[in-house]
Amino acid sequence: MLSFTLKRIAQLIPVFIGATLLVYFLVFATPGDPIAALSGGKPMTPATEAALRAQYNLDQPFWIQYGLYLKNLVTFDLGMSFSGQPVADLLGRAFPVTARLAILALLIEGVFGIIFGVIAGMRKGKFFDSTILVASLIVIAVPTFVLGFVLQFVIGVKLEWAKPTVSGAGTWSELILPAMVLGLVSLAYVIRLTRTSVIENKSADYVRTATAKGLSRNRVVRVHVLRNSLIPVVTFLGADLGSLMGGAIVTEGIFNVPGVGNLLYRAILKGETPTVVAVVGVLVIVFVIANLIVDMLYALLDPRIRYA
Amino acid sequence: MRISHASKAVALSAALALTLSACGGGSSETPEGNGDAQAGDTSYVVSANTTEPQNGLLPANTNEVGGGRVMDLIFTGLVSYTADGKTQNELAESIETTDSQNYTIKIKSGQTFSDGSPVTAASFVDAWNFGAAAKNAQLNSYFFESIKGYKEVSAENAKKDTMEGLKVVDDTTFTVELSQPESDFPLRLGYTAFFPLPEAAFEDPKAFGEKPVGNGPYTLAEWNHDVNLKLEVNEKYDGPRKAQNGGIDFKVYQSTDSAYQDLISGNLDVLDQVPPSQLASYQSDLGDRSVNSPYAGNATITIPGYLDHFKQGEEGNLRRAAISQAIDRQLVIDKVYQGGKVIAKDFTAPVIDGYSDSIPGSEVLTFNAEAAKKAWADADAISKWDADAELSIGYNVDGAGNKEYVEAVVNQLKNNLGINAVAKPYSSFKELREQVTERKMTGGFRTGWQADYPSLYNFLGALYGTGAGSNDGDYSNKEFDAKLKEGLAATDPAAGAEIFNQAQEILMKDLPAIPLWYQAVQGGWSENVSNVEFGWNGVPLYNEIAGK
Repeated sequence: MLSFTLKRIAQLIPVFIGATLLVYFLVFATPGDPIAALSGGKPMTPATEAALRAQYNLDQPFWIQYGLYLKNLVTFDLGMSFSGQPVADLLGRAFPVTARLAILALLIEGVFGIIFGVIAGMRKGKFFDSTILVASLIVIAVPTFVLGFVLQFVIGVKLEWAKPTVSGAGTWSELILPAMVLGLVSLAYVIRLTRTSVIENKSADYVRTATAKGLSRNRVVRVHVLRNSLIPVVTFLGADLGSLMGGAIVTEGIFNVPGVGNLLYRAILKGETPTVVAVVGVLVIVFVIANLIVDMLYALLDPRIRYA
Repeated sequence: MRISHASKAVALSAALALTLSACGGGSSETPEGNGDAQAGDTSYVVSANTTEPQNGLLPANTNEVGGGRVMDLIFTGLVSYTADGKTQNELAESIETTDSQNYTIKIKSGQTFSDGSPVTAASFVDAWNFGAAAKNAQLNSYFFESIKGYKEVSAENAKKDTMEGLKVVDDTTFTVELSQPESDFPLRLGYTAFFPLPEAAFEDPKAFGEKPVGNGPYTLAEWNHDVNLKLEVNEKYDGPRKAQNGGIDFKVYQSTDSAYQDLISGNLDVLDQVPPSQLASYQSDLGDRSVNSPYAGNATITIPGYLDHFKQGEEGNLRRAAISQAIDRQLVIDKVYQGGKVIAKDFTAPVIDGYSDSIPGSEVLTFNAEAAKKAWADADAISKWDADAELSIGYNVDGAGNKEYVEAVVNQLKNNLGINAVAKPYSSFKELREQVTERKMTGGFRTGWQADYPSLYNFLGALYGTGAGSNDGDYSNKEFDAKLKEGLAATDPAAGAEIFNQAQEILMKDLPAIPLWYQAVQGGWSENVSNVEFGWNGVPLYNEIAGK
């Protein structure tokens, strides 16, 4: 198990370098001149322009730019944003907020998704099952920004149960509403995934054996059906954590959450390479670690799976 | 200051011209400002929307609205601007000149920065030299180009870092020598770039930009990046813009949509930009707590002179006139902006002293489909426009609302001229600006201007002067340049304005840009505040707002 873990963590290095190189190149290759945009179309003296280009290494060819970036990275210098702030500071502010948002969303979709999914699966074809199926279909079909605006307007503006936007601190309680919006679509998928898996396992031999042995229904569902049904669900949740963190742009925009999604979006539009690469780099790490945790959970859920 | 071009989620930066999102608008007749501030609660902390300042808060490095609105409150210059764009003395005791070229500036004595250090003549001279010097790479450096000796300090690898045109006479007096007479120089002195700096600023400008110490009606107490900027009242400030509230809490919004939701639920006091999605309904939502009025900015379309068929001269002029007359501006304004703009009648904007809506030749800005067709046909007689040829109008998609209005304009061209006009999207502002600055555009593109200071010259010089910094269409007309120079040399501002308007007569013939409409601010405020008025540049006069 330990060597497996170490091996996986070692894999991070090539993945990280490959991802940053690719992203660095993609930002480099996008059309547009960041410095021309900085002036906002107002005049800029040639000296100022040259100084700014030099400051961000934009006067260098690609390989030198990337080389300089890597060189600084070794000393944990992530570079500067165009506003003159260290990218590390930008990340340090945005990531905790986004992490809280993503964890809340993951909890919401995990807990409610599995509970509803199990109930629906155990009562296949009954009223609860049909209702859940239709409801989840609707949630999947409605775009996030519609859900977001509707919930913001109803809960934030009309009912005034919560503020329509999040304060800068991005505390847990403030983030519940955005996390609901963010997690809702995945929640629908988790329900459907759990339900299908439960239905499949319900008729498995070991479940029948357990029932025949006279175990209580509760224990049969919890230990025999649910545990075996969780593998695809856990796989989905693990992969989803990454997309929840990086893909919350719409939700963050609606609720004005100062998180990673918007940081990334703005940086891409500005052509601010160091910020884009740093954000993506951290997301890559999150992805890899989340998948590692998922793999370990497999062993926990199914004793037949072992890692040498 | 330039306009923010972005709007939708991002406060991206800026744009010059180009924009829709502009923040703000101005008006001298705010409906229901509710007048007397005395009745209000002067300890109330007002919350207002902003975008994250793009740079550290240094006067010569702040060239967009997000930083500009804060700078205007934490600093004060020699003069400041009233709501209707007039200048009033702030620190200046007097600004004297006999020839519009040599100025003697006396400042009030006993003024201090909020840290207690004195504001002296050197605070200005040093700050301006700092802003101009090439090694400091300040974005607003070009603002000092009129001062004698600017070339020597602003060139790449410049050896000198002080301009010879600036001389400190004594603690409260300094002189400015310009390289040519420029009568509107005193008007510029209220712009951010001309603010003074305390000595401490030069030791570590970068650190100072994070925690600026100014001399304005407020001090910057806290700056939480991407979240908020908290301004407290500066008790040491003693000028015409005294705070009528207990401070201002600027909240950074990524989109004006979420700011609007905060406004209508009472979580935000002042919003200076209603999102495009709410333009149809904000007046009924807010009633007399809303404003819609023009400010000193405009939207134009530039068809560069380096394009075939559009070179300066008879054919190019006829084609531009045809395009201008083929656009039913009011229809576009009504459909796209719910009537929230005002048809342009010149190249500047109302609210500016000397503005005229009846410049000879301005009928070319009026919709007239027949005249348009005729002008286009006349141009064809000189050199035939290929019927299949495409005329594109470029815009950046990362600014909310750009697509809608450019497409509307393009449709007008298609219908009224019968040509193959297309709207050409650019993925980002930086891409559009790159093509524009490298002169690689293959068609027209959206432009515009938001005034830095209230003066006709600010709209004309930088945009249409030969070789000027923002002359994106490479326009050049000796006659026009001569008129500009003549206007600048006038010693009386009114006489100067008249000459600038004569210069505009030339522009009406050449149409280096095609004016579409004047920008207008659509803003609103909550029930918690009173006396909300928007300035000449569309930015609220924050210091006058009081609680209820």
